[in-house]
Amino acid sequence: MFVSTASVLGARASNTARRASTVLVTLLGLLALTFVIGRVMPLDPVLAVVGPDADSSTYDQVYQAMGLDKPIWTQFGLYLNDLLHGDFGNALLTGHPVLDDILRVFPATIELATLAILFGILIGLPLGVCAASNQGRLGDHVARVITLFGYSTPIFWLGMMGLLVFYAWLGWAGGAGRIDLAYDGMVPEVTGLLLIDSTLARDWDAFASALRHIVLPALILGLNSVAYISRMTRSFMLEQLSQEYIITARVKGLSRRQVVWGHAFRNILVQLLTVVALAYGSLLEGAVLIETVFAWPGFGQYLTSSLMLGDMNAVMGCVLVIGLIFVALNLISDALYKVFDPRTR
Amino acid sequence: MNSPLSKLHMSLLAAVLALAPMTAVNAKTPADQLIVGMSMVNLFSIDPANAPGLDASGVNANLYDTLVKRDNNNPEKHQPQLAERWQISDDGKQVTFHLRQDVKFHSGNPLTAEDVAWSLYRVMKLNYGLATTWKAYGYSVENIQALIRATDSYTLVVDLPQVMDPLLLVDSLAISPSAVVVDRKAVMAHEKNGDLGAAWLVTNEAGSGPFVLTKWSVNDSLLLTRFDGYWGGAAKLKRVVVRHMTESQSLRLMLERGDLDLAYGMSAPDIRAIDGSDKLQVQSLQRGTLYYVAMSMKQPEFAKSKVREAVRNLIDYKGLDQQVMPYYGTLNQQPMQLGLDARLPDPGYHMDVAKAKALLAEAGYPEGFDTTIRTLSEPPFIDIAARLQSTLAQGGIKATIVTGTGNQVYGAMRARNFEIIVARGAERYPHPYFSLRTFAYNPNNSDDAGLPNFQGWRASFFNPQLNALIDQAGVERDSAQRLKLYHQAQNLYDQQVGPIMMVSQMTDTVVSAADVKGFDGDDALATRYLGVHKQR
Repeated sequence: MFVSTASVLGARASNTARRASTVLVTLLGLLALTFVIGRVMPLDPVLAVVGPDADSSTYDQVYQAMGLDKPIWTQFGLYLNDLLHGDFGNALLTGHPVLDDILRVFPATIELATLAILFGILIGLPLGVCAASNQGRLGDHVARVITLFGYSTPIFWLGMMGLLVFYAWLGWAGGAGRIDLAYDGMVPEVTGLLLIDSTLARDWDAFASALRHIVLPALILGLNSVAYISRMTRSFMLEQLSQEYIITARVKGLSRRQVVWGHAFRNILVQLLTVVALAYGSLLEGAVLIETVFAWPGFGQYLTSSLMLGDMNAVMGCVLVIGLIFVALNLISDALYKVFDPRTR
Repeated sequence: MNSPLSKLHMSLLAAVLALAPMTAVNAKTPADQLIVGMSMVNLFSIDPANAPGLDASGVNANLYDTLVKRDNNNPEKHQPQLAERWQISDDGKQVTFHLRQDVKFHSGNPLTAEDVAWSLYRVMKLNYGLATTWKAYGYSVENIQALIRATDSYTLVVDLPQVMDPLLLVDSLAISPSAVVVDRKAVMAHEKNGDLGAAWLVTNEAGSGPFVLTKWSVNDSLLLTRFDGYWGGAAKLKRVVVRHMTESQSLRLMLERGDLDLAYGMSAPDIRAIDGSDKLQVQSLQRGTLYYVAMSMKQPEFAKSKVREAVRNLIDYKGLDQQVMPYYGTLNQQPMQLGLDARLPDPGYHMDVAKAKALLAEAGYPEGFDTTIRTLSEPPFIDIAARLQSTLAQGGIKATIVTGTGNQVYGAMRARNFEIIVARGAERYPHPYFSLRTFAYNPNNSDDAGLPNFQGWRASFFNPQLNALIDQAGVERDSAQRLKLYHQAQNLYDQQVGPIMMVSQMTDTVVSAADVKGFDGDDALATRYLGVHKQR
């Protein structure tokens, strides 16, 4: 059947427009929901500004200055209007534009979550493959114990134990914070990622300090991803290993390694992309406990502090960023599908 | 050995071995720097006009100066600071301050009386919570420039708008977080849309104190660097680095490892675990703040004095003091801080269930009633509330605990929308007049009056006789007579069974390395690091 180039382009454009409108509606719904919840929850952002002992005239003055005397949908409309002009508003917590704050705290979380997901992939994938190819045997049981540990151990407790053993007793890991205080502010900020910035500055002492500080929280944060990725990998692999083409490959005399890694594993890569993308998204927005234990000045702590204050500009900005992260990860994994699976092109 | 898993294990082992030698890098903190760990979650503005929190006071105490300084333990005596001397007029209506002439701001600008007058005008003009302090004396944005004025560059004249003991005003100029002097020229250089530099001063400073704010990354770290041109002599430390740490056990581990010099806000179990260590020292500081159980007299049950008395008999003061409050507070049953001459001894309230039941029956509640206790979901508040819930139940009062953030709990109290609340409050520094004003004074009990700055109003407690006694004490200049008025007020509060029942006075514990010397903890966390040093 002949399909014109114009109709192909038209279909692509329509597909892109449909996707863009879905993303926009999703983000708008997310913002509206957060805004309403923020306004109805019993938190008073005015008190955060004026203090609990302020008199009524001060309170009323700030209440009006924050626009809280206007109807809720008017407030939301004004917020959206500012947003469309690139203004996320100012945060109560810092007095800075929310966007500046997010750009300041996000690199710390990206650095931590990226290292954590790398641990998750490097340990979780081989563990899952090992478990599937040794189903019911020792390797499978070991993998099950590790994943059970990763799923069920409270990350807060693990963080404290990790600090006790690897920082306080053995002295292998750095303590709280992203870097030893002696290097605080000494590394010129380029990307906000200390490992990269210290490398660019060729400050190897600062690099070593940053590495000592990040390895432990990243390992602990990555443990949950190890569990998730290895369980999913095992499940996908078991399905592949029971397929007829695997039996054919074995009958042809291929080695076990070639069958497992060369045939079965390659066929689960596409599914794993989604798993890894979701795990990474969760790490980016869900690192708050580990950030608390390790005094890591990241996105999770910023969002939590803002929530406790009822600082809705900051909360809305964070929610929008989280929404965009998941949208971006979905788009990236969709794009990678096409690289790994020609049928989806 | 060639499987990916084996390779992975080898790689991990190599990584661990590579990291191990790095421990050598981990030395003690530098001798000329103080590394402090504390939660900075409540530190979100250091503008002196709008920084009511204790944490902000701790920072600003090192960045700014006040005219005078309160004498330790005596709220009626003051020492020179920016003002080298001052005199009070015979009629008590005017105070004249003579300023030092060698003081420079961090910007290099000289500090003058115009800066002092403008700093106070700015507080009134911006009208945030701290303006309440000055409004209580009768100042307003309209009259303050006429009443507080510079007659020359180094002379400041302060007229009192209404009859009041001038020592109270001098005390406020010593201790109010809004009484610090800001650099008018530096601030106005950053003014936007007539905000008097409010947006800029939230995260910047324009002071003359012993340290300069070099860096502040909110909820991360804060860096203070020595101001070598400080009029009182340069600080012994070169830098003070404060790192945001909320987890008590992390603080403890870092102190024990020698990576921290000083920690605020550690939990009682962690302090108990290290108390007695020869490497660390534990310093307890008594704060002006009081923990209390408050009832709203808007509720029909608590409007009856017999019910309030019953509740007082159902508070296990001794148990709270001995089992809940160690490291958090010291028993105090008066609406006034410990150690003040004006304070009467504790009335000896104690738990007496039989008496409470009898009082409830007399009040018409022989079977008790249901109520709620609002409190913060953190120790010791939640522990006090839990114990109160248990002891109220012994008297037949069935209470449900409703927890929330400070914002939610104090917000409900400000809105007079609560039954029982477990909270803490009072002026940050001990003072008989201000404490009584906070807890027992209420000039107008109507909802429309909107006086949430008075906790008596929040609890709907209104007693004209008590108001009159406190007003008299505020103008009385004879110290013996004033003392008598304070005693009468405390006795009357006791007889009236005031609905805000003090249970403990806050103590704050600071843990530091044994080599940290010269740390003289302030009553309200406004500790200056000027004389702190390390003995190594």
